[in-house]
Amino acid sequence: MAYVAARGGEAAIQYAEQLHQALNGPLTAERVQLIAQLLPYLVDRVMGEGSLYAPELAALALAQTGGDLYEAVLLLRAYRSTQPRLAYAEPVAQDQIYTVRRISAAFKAIPGGQILGPTLDYSHRLLRLDLLDGAGAAGRVQPVTGSDQRVADTEHAAAADPAQATALDPSLPAVADWQRAMGLLEPLPDTPPPDPATLPDLTREPLSFPAPRAHRLQSLARADTGGTLALGYASMRGYGLVHPTVNELRLGYADVVLRHPITGASFSAGRVRVSQCEVVDTQVSSLRLGYTATLGWNEVKVIAGAMLDLEMDAPTPHPAHREEFVLYHTEAVEASGFCIHYKLPHYVTFQSGLDALRGVRDQGGEVPGDR
Amino acid sequence: MDHSELLSTLSRAPAAAVKTFAEHLLPALEPVEVLRNRTGLAMLPLRETAQGATFYLGEVLLAEAQVRAAGAEGYAACLGRDLEQALALALIDAAHRAGVAGPAIIAFAQHQAAALAAAEQALMRDVGQTRVDLETF
Repeated sequence: MAYVAARGGEAAIQYAEQLHQALNGPLTAERVQLIAQLLPYLVDRVMGEGSLYAPELAALALAQTGGDLYEAVLLLRAYRSTQPRLAYAEPVAQDQIYTVRRISAAFKAIPGGQILGPTLDYSHRLLRLDLLDGAGAAGRVQPVTGSDQRVADTEHAAAADPAQATALDPSLPAVADWQRAMGLLEPLPDTPPPDPATLPDLTREPLSFPAPRAHRLQSLARADTGGTLALGYASMRGYGLVHPTVNELRLGYADVVLRHPITGASFSAGRVRVSQCEVVDTQVSSLRLGYTATLGWNEVKVIAGAMLDLEMDAPTPHPAHREEFVLYHTEAVEASGFCIHYKLPHYVTFQSGLDALRGVRDQGGEVPGDR
Repeated sequence: MDHSELLSTLSRAPAAAVKTFAEHLLPALEPVEVLRNRTGLAMLPLRETAQGATFYLGEVLLAEAQVRAAGAEGYAACLGRDLEQALALALIDAAHRAGVAGPAIIAFAQHQAAALAAAEQALMRDVGQTRVDLETF
């Protein structure tokens, strides 16, 4: 495929950009702050796929693009490329995550308990039309005043007065550690912690196959949510070979721990939202885990990604079982970029195709593909 | 409160409060030499639980500053791109290391730590109420 430069239409391009902005409303700092405050999961998705934790900039990217996710992710990735890498943080361990949601579909009674945290999983999917009609919105968590007597009598007695409730310990142990202690999972390799600066890094080296596990998980962490879901769902529906269970799904905050360059003291520069999921496969002689984590809170992506992590080791030709297919085609910026490049002028290549077609017809030949 | 706790607390404290406090310290720190004050990225690794591999979860935008003041060097980094916040944090760090306004710095940090702890306690009380004991029939 050959490309040629095209010129012209500078004024039209400027007007097109102005029209885009005019139809999407004014671009103001207040609007950006509102997006960051009111749409945290959308901001998380942009940061996760943009592979850059910067809520203010992700909100700005959404405001600038009118909410076009792929354009917003591209803006964030482009900004990232202008910034120097200052440091490598200390690796985050699961039991160090300040956890606000941790559930398991495999075991009821997990150490630390099932913590629903902030979720709409068990809520009615009904539009709150009353809000449009002027009813006030609920803000902070309100005491539960339902008629379920068991709630009042048992573990949630403090629900009537949240100020008296016991604060949960946010350092919840890993379900997998508990399973390993019971001999249900293979022990983790006893290797010294790696130097954080020497890990395989997709931003500085190409993806090759079979991918190092660090590349696979980094690729899934920044993968397109829709693409990951599509391939994961294909696998879940029946194209896959496994039918795993969510071993652990966790949302929380991870400290970004750096070293003071003068004193060497380690300190947290702040916390970032992270999500991670393990799925467990029981259809083998011993339990196997699949895993995915991402920046921000994005449950669909980490569940689908964890399933693909299991599937990508399967020796079958289905696309969802091939690491190369999954990792290449869930790369949000490359995929969306290639898709939208088809909008750009292809006049020369198309004309070339037309010339070939006319030539064949002039010679009375059959054009390949004609029926 | 040790150095790590001090830095961790102040990095998460409200930027406006940190800047105001650093302004009060400035007269005792002059002249100040700013060695670096810039935005950049920290790569965040995570150790996964399936096979124990460590991988890069993604990068985090930081503002960092390093200053020399009152005969000591101070450094700080905080999330985001607020260079003034990073500079204020680095000034507080330099003052702390130089022994300037030590009690005031500790008192300020303890006040901020208490506020952060109170917010965390409130959050985890709310989270605690979402704990479920599931029954199967």
